Amino acid sequence: MFERRLYHHLDWLLLGATIVLCFIGVAMIYSTTGSTNPRLAMTQVYAMLIGIVAFMVCLTIDYRALTDKSHFVYLVLLGLLIYVLVFGTTAGGARRWISLGVFNLQPSEFAKVGVALVLAKFFGENRRGNPTTGDLFIGGILAAVPLVLIAKEPDLGTAVTILPIFLGIAYVAGMRMRILGILLGVAIVAAPIAWNFALKDYQKGRIETFLDPSQDPKGAGYQQIQAQITVGSGGLTGKGFRKGTQGQLRFLPVAHNDFIFSVLAEEQGFVGVLAVLSLYLFVIWRSLEAARLAKDRLGVYLVMGLLASFTFQVIYNITMSAGLAPVKGLTLPLMSYGGSSMIATLATFGLVQNVRMRRFTN
Amino acid sequence: MSELNFSAPIEDRRRVTIRIVVLQVLLGVSFTVLAFSFWYFQVVQNAKYEELAANNHQRTIALRAPRGVMFDREGRPIVENRSSFSISIVREHTKDLNRTVRMLSEVAGLDPKWVQGEVNKHRREPTYQPIVIVNDASMAQVASVMARRLDTELPDVLVQEVPTRQYPVDEVAAHLFGYVGEASEGDVTSQGVQSGDIIGKSGVERVYNKLLMGEDGARRVVVNSVGREIRTLEEIQPSEGRRVELTIDMDLQRAAEEGFKAAGFNGAAVILDPNSGEVLTFTSLPAFNPNDFASGINTTVWNALNTDKQKPLMNRAIQGTYSPGSTFKIVVATAALEEGIITPDFRVSCGGGATFFGRYFHCWKKGGHGSINLPHAIEQSCNVFFYTVGNMVGVDRIHKWATLLGLGEKTGIDLPNEVSGLVPSTEWKKARTGEKWYAGETISVSIGQGQVSITPVSLAVMMATVANGGTRYVPHLLKAIDEGNGKGWKPVPPPPPKSKVVLKKETVEAIHNGLFLVVNGAGTGGRARIVGKDVSGKTGTAQVISLTGGRQAMGRTDRDLRDHGWFVFFAPRDNPQIAGVIFAEHAEHGASAAPIAKHVMETFFAKKEGKPLPKLNMPAPIPDPEGRTPEPIPVAPPPAGTIAGMN
Repeated sequence: MFERRLYHHLDWLLLGATIVLCFIGVAMIYSTTGSTNPRLAMTQVYAMLIGIVAFMVCLTIDYRALTDKSHFVYLVLLGLLIYVLVFGTTAGGARRWISLGVFNLQPSEFAKVGVALVLAKFFGENRRGNPTTGDLFIGGILAAVPLVLIAKEPDLGTAVTILPIFLGIAYVAGMRMRILGILLGVAIVAAPIAWNFALKDYQKGRIETFLDPSQDPKGAGYQQIQAQITVGSGGLTGKGFRKGTQGQLRFLPVAHNDFIFSVLAEEQGFVGVLAVLSLYLFVIWRSLEAARLAKDRLGVYLVMGLLASFTFQVIYNITMSAGLAPVKGLTLPLMSYGGSSMIATLATFGLVQNVRMRRFTN
Repeated sequence: MSELNFSAPIEDRRRVTIRIVVLQVLLGVSFTVLAFSFWYFQVVQNAKYEELAANNHQRTIALRAPRGVMFDREGRPIVENRSSFSISIVREHTKDLNRTVRMLSEVAGLDPKWVQGEVNKHRREPTYQPIVIVNDASMAQVASVMARRLDTELPDVLVQEVPTRQYPVDEVAAHLFGYVGEASEGDVTSQGVQSGDIIGKSGVERVYNKLLMGEDGARRVVVNSVGREIRTLEEIQPSEGRRVELTIDMDLQRAAEEGFKAAGFNGAAVILDPNSGEVLTFTSLPAFNPNDFASGINTTVWNALNTDKQKPLMNRAIQGTYSPGSTFKIVVATAALEEGIITPDFRVSCGGGATFFGRYFHCWKKGGHGSINLPHAIEQSCNVFFYTVGNMVGVDRIHKWATLLGLGEKTGIDLPNEVSGLVPSTEWKKARTGEKWYAGETISVSIGQGQVSITPVSLAVMMATVANGGTRYVPHLLKAIDEGNGKGWKPVPPPPPKSKVVLKKETVEAIHNGLFLVVNGAGTGGRARIVGKDVSGKTGTAQVISLTGGRQAMGRTDRDLRDHGWFVFFAPRDNPQIAGVIFAEHAEHGASAAPIAKHVMETFFAKKEGKPLPKLNMPAPIPDPEGRTPEPIPVAPPPAGTIAGMN
């Protein structure tokens, strides 16, 4: 199954950049929580080690074989998502975790991989050229089921990351741009209707607050304002490792998690921001290359699906870190604290490398 | 693996490549936009956000400097500081103001409406400035608030230990010390102090505020998001205000105030060292309790003080102007002798009254004093003598000598808001009314009536000037200042005298003799007599209303219309060491004021001689006279060394 020669086709630079990002994340987690809860940084390191194992597993098994069995993976994950809804561990008003004693597992993070596999298989099997409306509908359903289940937890942030998987795969599969345009048009038309009928007051409030955070500086706008202050006060070279005030003194909530990038911006300054942005750009770019070079459609779709979700999350989280997007519970993959996300993301890159590595094999 | 039907090579690779390149372009654009956004926030707007971040986590806590301690002339501390606790709200850290107000009220036992009112008063101030809700909080309040703070239930409530002014509990010398209060907007602009500073508002506290105030320190601390202090960044210790030594002798001060209390009068006393102008005693009664102001006066007390008919906030000694009555005869006598108009042997025949410019003026003694010379005219307070002499001297020369002795002008005492009395002159009348002075008006002026009005402090200066032979010192309260830093006490040079004339020896002798006889002869000042101390003095009556008008007004108004009594004095006659004035409000007789002066002088001499402080012996009040006369009925001098009517 695994051949020694494949090593030569591994993208070592991509792997290196991925690991460097993980370590920067651990350093930032240590910086914000080291004095109050030193265990967190260690936990992240363990998650990283498990993630590397997951990376190697995903690298080893030929993606074609894996995708072939993707419907099993998909069904198991749906089962886990339903299990979580019924028996999951509650924290902060949401049932997102399955308690495994030593650590908690967050199935929604793995659901992304499952959805990418199953959609890649679904669109890859289609040999008629461009996907038809019917194909898109079925693909949409496949994505919507886990999305709704995750949204029910509730975890709207993670649920939303399922959507780019579908869009990314449909896009490279040759979805007509007209359909994309129609979807966009529907969204524009639907927005005011949703505003009036579908959105709850607190949700409207959130959007209003985003547009003008000063309206509610102590409430919902607080995080957004604090994020801006955190980033802005960093300056060119930052306040120094563990010398930040916003993250260290907890003016910025969940700094080690959703706002890890703000902490980086505060302590390492614009220089640090540029470095990390470059690393993410590099990782995504190289992964796109992997998609471009892929031997078959299946490989292209799989990489695109995985990457769409990852990229969406990275861009959204970084935008939010600067207070430029509404605050949603969306982590920064590779850097934010969170074991499931770390393992699932490293597994993702295992699959990306898998596709790249096997571009010459049959 | 190749048999898997979906893994065939891509037929439309070109399309896939194009779509991926489109994505790569979009990706590049997105990251560039992100990089520029961060550049804009972090580099362009860095200063703004840095300040916001600093405001977030740094809190500057003012450390109030204790005001300088005041000592009396013997080095006894009289105004000190004690610790108190204040409870404030810092709105910057407030999440829900209504909740904070409600909880704080509940915990500290306050009316929530009142607390809200206090907050509203300071609504416009910056939110980092603490709004003081409770000054001088009780230990129970402090404890319950601190407990809630530790639970982080009230992160926006601040408990601070602040030094608070501590005055003598019995209101002694309240008008001298004055009081402190929060700087008003006017003070901020005029005195260069800061909003929220505690500054002297009256008395010595105000005049020497710059010395006493000290410099507030500050502690810059880092706080976390729930307001808990994490560490101190910088601490500037407050520097205590300068310690000052006053000229006041607290024993004499207490003696005077005890005297007033025992006699049951309000009034004023200013007692000086006639050879320097140092103020030994300064009082004005009724007084207020300066401690009420020390930690912010409450509205009820303030309103009560302001509406009190007895005007406890008025400093009678420097702000009250009254007619000097017979004490003014000293001025007329000095003018006549110094101008060479009469000699001490000059005699006038008193038949109980005399006619000047077609009008008959009474002497207080119905039968008259007969032929009388200057010393005895002072002793007997003979009106006819002084009508005659005053008429000879003329109003302008009376004005000149009154001024040289210290009347009709501000004395320059180092207390705020001193007013000036008035001694009329032809020039003054011309300027004031445009009319000529009528010689007939001089007759009333000669016995200290008519338009003459003076403040108690200026009368004390007049007495001291006469006692020391002509040097008009400026009464002053500051004796020495502690240089600080271990440099020790540095005496404050006395202000230069306002004027200096050398009175002729015969003038001094004649007047001193007359004043000696007032106390030790058949005069009205017998109640101030001290064996061996040659107390010299003069009583006087300040009419509250004119004689004829008074009769009509009596009983028609609730104002107290009884006359005021004066007693001016110095001792000993030939070597004056103490001089001053007792002003007894509505006491009717100057003689009623004399025992108070006596008690102060006894205390003074006892201390000088190292004897124990004397006990106060207040003679029985003088019975109400049948008819109202310009001068109280003289009492028979009691046998030397004993006092009639012990109380």
